[in-house]
Amino acid sequence: MAGLLNLLYIFLYAPIFYVIYASFSQDIVWPFPPAFTMQAYVDLAGNSLYSDALINSLIIGLGSGIISTAIATAGVIGILRYPSKRRTLIIVIFLSPLFVAELLIGISSLAFNARILGLPGNIFSAIAANAVEGVAFSFLIILSQLVRYDWQMDEAAMVFGARPVRCFWEITLPTIWPSLLGAFLISFILAFNNLEISFYNLGAIPTLPSVAWGSLRFGLGPELFALAALTNGFVFLIFAVMYVLMRTGLVKFGYRGK
Amino acid sequence: MKPDSTWRAFITPFVLLTGPGTIFISITLLLPLLTIVMFSFWRTESYELYADWNLDNYRVLFGEAAYRTFLIRSVVSAALTSLICLVLAWPVAYYIARHGGRYRLLLVLLLAAPFFTGVILRIAALQGILGPGGLINMTLGLAGFAPIKLLMYTQFAATIGHIYLYIPFMVTAIYLSLVNFDFALLDTAKINGAGPFRAFAEVTWPLNWIGTSIGTVLVFIPCLASTITPRFLGGPNATSFGMSLSQQFGETGTWALGSAMSVVMFIFSFLVIAIMSLTIDLRRSGFTGVGK
Repeated sequence: MAGLLNLLYIFLYAPIFYVIYASFSQDIVWPFPPAFTMQAYVDLAGNSLYSDALINSLIIGLGSGIISTAIATAGVIGILRYPSKRRTLIIVIFLSPLFVAELLIGISSLAFNARILGLPGNIFSAIAANAVEGVAFSFLIILSQLVRYDWQMDEAAMVFGARPVRCFWEITLPTIWPSLLGAFLISFILAFNNLEISFYNLGAIPTLPSVAWGSLRFGLGPELFALAALTNGFVFLIFAVMYVLMRTGLVKFGYRGK
Repeated sequence: MKPDSTWRAFITPFVLLTGPGTIFISITLLLPLLTIVMFSFWRTESYELYADWNLDNYRVLFGEAAYRTFLIRSVVSAALTSLICLVLAWPVAYYIARHGGRYRLLLVLLLAAPFFTGVILRIAALQGILGPGGLINMTLGLAGFAPIKLLMYTQFAATIGHIYLYIPFMVTAIYLSLVNFDFALLDTAKINGAGPFRAFAEVTWPLNWIGTSIGTVLVFIPCLASTITPRFLGGPNATSFGMSLSQQFGETGTWALGSAMSVVMFIFSFLVIAIMSLTIDLRRSGFTGVGK
């Protein structure tokens, strides 16, 4: 079974490492023997299409990350702290976006915005549509962490006269912020790298994935490899930071440990 | 005006906290999906939607051979991909959960992380390996062999792409189920005389069915709706239902037909969810509910 695990790692990572290697090579089609150059990265940085797209992707990622985390946090605290008969229904609602394909989320919000509300493609509807998926992922992450949160601390604060809002800022938030950060980072990355949901909501406004899609139609280019290498590096940096925080015991991100 | 008592009884902290999410998802997911259902009974003529209620879109969808082919192709491909992912992911997730020790979280994160770099860049990376100018066929070509045609623009290449994209879901779902599984039960079964195979079939597999079924659904749904993978890896004979669907909203502008296709796609996704959730027996899943 260890062999199969290693094979799966090779299968998942060989393309990624090959792309990173090739992005530094002079000839991306046959990058052997190695001849290194930074040309692809220089081209990428010099292309204004990519820098516009980067800014749009960052806006969508940040907006969607903040909305997702806020809504999911409120929802998780609601179902954990205040028992209700509707708890199962709320869980189903919050997790339902996981079971709708991105293509359908994108196309249905295009239809709703364009034909019912009469709105042209804009960045706000892209943020909202991406946050649909983000809410579900954030909800799962925060829920898995807060299931073990001890609400007696909050009750103690309330006994001493803290109002609910102050109690949240001074007791709950300082304890649970790591899982909120984890949820924010995951929903940020999802929205940042999303193609289908953003594409249908934005019309002609470019994002990094849609520019990448556009240039992939003309075949693989060096700057596409450079973009893939950078995005992979960025995602792995975030995961590495999350992992180090977890390992040092500073932050748990829902891991129980044994 | 002072809120009356029934109004006040309704505004509980529970409603205040879960309300924003419920409203948000209703507006951004539920209403758009209902819009699509409505449009599927309308008619499009030269890029405009007309509200004369009819079933023509569905008649076209099930009447024309091309759409039927796309649908069957996508459903079969999604089912096949789910099955392959299942067979590959189980031993991997089991090995990590059982023998991963203190590194098991890292091992799973490493399997899940590639998912977050986005579909398009992962497909570009895979094309760098599989495509006609990709590593495998270039190596073969320079070594004097014929390129492997199977890897270039075929349904086979698209299936590899789907497995590549979505196997992280399956591994993570099964792993999350297995880490909450008490392996002592397995030892009990073995002490009481069950062989390894029987212990797996009667204890481990049924008690972790919830992970398996959630993983299957999470792989099946994006594969069914897949547009990018068949387009860039699949070639002319792999046109999927999703590709044809997105075309209705793009080049051809036949939104009503596209809406009907979305409804059909949603029904197929929903059927798989329904079948899978009917087979889950929460009392046998180790699921202890949320919170108290």
